[in-house]
Amino acid sequence: MKIISALWYRNIKIFARNRVQLAFTVIMPFFFLYVFNAIFKNDNIDNPVNYMLAGIVITTVFQTALSIATGTIEDIVSGFMKEVLVSPVRRIQISVGQLLSAATIATIQGIIIVVIGYFIGLKFTSILTPVAVVGVMITVGLVFSGLGLFLAALIKNSQTFQIVQAAVMMPLTFLCGAYIPLSLLPNVLLYFAYFNPMTYTTAFFRTVILEKTSLTAEQLVAEQLAFKIGNFIITPAISMGIVLVFGAVFLMLATYVFSKVDFSKINRSKSKEGDIWA
Amino acid sequence: MSFEVEEGSIFAFLGPNGAGKSTTINTLCTIFDKTSGALIIDGKDVSHDKDAVRSVIGVVFQDPTLDNKMTVIENMVMHCHFYSVPKNEITERIDFALNLVNLLDWKKSMVSSLSGGMKRRVEIARSLLHYPKVLFLDEPTTGLDPQTRAHIWDYIVKLQKEKNITIFLTTHYMDEAEICSKVAIMDKGKIVALDTPYHLKQKYTKDKAYITTEDEQGLEKLLDTAGFIYKKKIGYYSIEVLDLAELMEILSVHKSAIKELEIKKGTLNDVFLDITGKDIRE
Repeated sequence: MKIISALWYRNIKIFARNRVQLAFTVIMPFFFLYVFNAIFKNDNIDNPVNYMLAGIVITTVFQTALSIATGTIEDIVSGFMKEVLVSPVRRIQISVGQLLSAATIATIQGIIIVVIGYFIGLKFTSILTPVAVVGVMITVGLVFSGLGLFLAALIKNSQTFQIVQAAVMMPLTFLCGAYIPLSLLPNVLLYFAYFNPMTYTTAFFRTVILEKTSLTAEQLVAEQLAFKIGNFIITPAISMGIVLVFGAVFLMLATYVFSKVDFSKINRSKSKEGDIWA
Repeated sequence: MSFEVEEGSIFAFLGPNGAGKSTTINTLCTIFDKTSGALIIDGKDVSHDKDAVRSVIGVVFQDPTLDNKMTVIENMVMHCHFYSVPKNEITERIDFALNLVNLLDWKKSMVSSLSGGMKRRVEIARSLLHYPKVLFLDEPTTGLDPQTRAHIWDYIVKLQKEKNITIFLTTHYMDEAEICSKVAIMDKGKIVALDTPYHLKQKYTKDKAYITTEDEQGLEKLLDTAGFIYKKKIGYYSIEVLDLAELMEILSVHKSAIKELEIKKGTLNDVFLDITGKDIRE
């Protein structure tokens, strides 16, 4: 427990010290909000700014969690992890520490954007909503830090990691309905969107933060908070279920792969391509 | 290979790059699994009792393993947490260790702002925080300037005396190996010689005399009749000294013609040359 909290504290400290990065991750979403919000102006969505803001909050949580967790690779390459390897610390303690700190930082960033969003129109009618919003953010943060740590353990190379991170993050971000409505996507990409866990995350989060839980299934589909595939309607509740299953799988995979990966092979062959996916 | 290291001694692995020094160290400090045989540290089996071994060893790797994003003291505190150092002792131990390597004033600096030699010293100080019984130093002074090298050696010797820690190190600097209590010379993954530096030199090297003379024929004649092995080099003679007294006798006959005389003791470099048939690559 002491080790987990020490690691957690370390990562939070590093995050707090990097103010430029923090400023950018807060500014960028509002830039996107300004550029993209016109696309969401249609008859079904009553407040496009809030609708988009909700999507932006959750994608920020997702991106932060993913990049902080994959940032573990830097610790591995910089050699810090090698010191840990010869200490009596268990690998599982390290992965839990990394996961928790990534989720925490992601949630903090999400909260910052929600607070700013509050001043440009986001309103809650129930006190329960902010609580639920934070709860969902923590869960989403954990789920995608699991994915991030899994990638980190798999790649083990800091140059390739940048590319892989972008290759994973971009499609997940832009094909989930947060910035571009799914109805505007060509069919091929739409199928991809249905396999994107972020699609369901975004839909569920929007339902919670915009307080749309009482809408009927048809209304939800019209607002793109639920999806009709054939005759089956994926309601926000099912969406959440999908995200939880996805999260559980990747959290387990991440901890497993991370505790099995052979870090001793990393330092010597930083640039050998054969070792990247070995 | 097989070797034993006594408690409280300094044991060195000497050998060219790629001889297997680091691999041996990595195996000893539980990173690599051994392929066969048995490894016992402080009475604990390295393969079966990894955690027990890990808590009694301290390791300084060849590549730096400090957390660059944190300050010196934060690195130290983290290490204490990893090794479950009692909370009330943490500050005291950190101050002691940093004082030992003269870095107390740098406590609050970011690691990334330190010089290479300072980082090394921080690493050595850090590896002492949990009071290890055995300390592994994998090329602790490679890439450092002579001054810092000398300093680090002072710390290592001081440490070994004060704390009675067993120190295990690899190096390819001959002068460093001289300080150690025992030296194992490695080549191609095998120990080719293992003894104290003094015994190694006695066994594998001969003293040499270098003489410059005005009367070359006269000297050669004297050496030939006495049965000395010598080589004529450019401007001087290199003579293997088996019996110093006998050489002195010859030289006393020849003394008026001698311009320069130098007698050199054998070095570990000569030992290495003699055993492996090649020079150490630095």
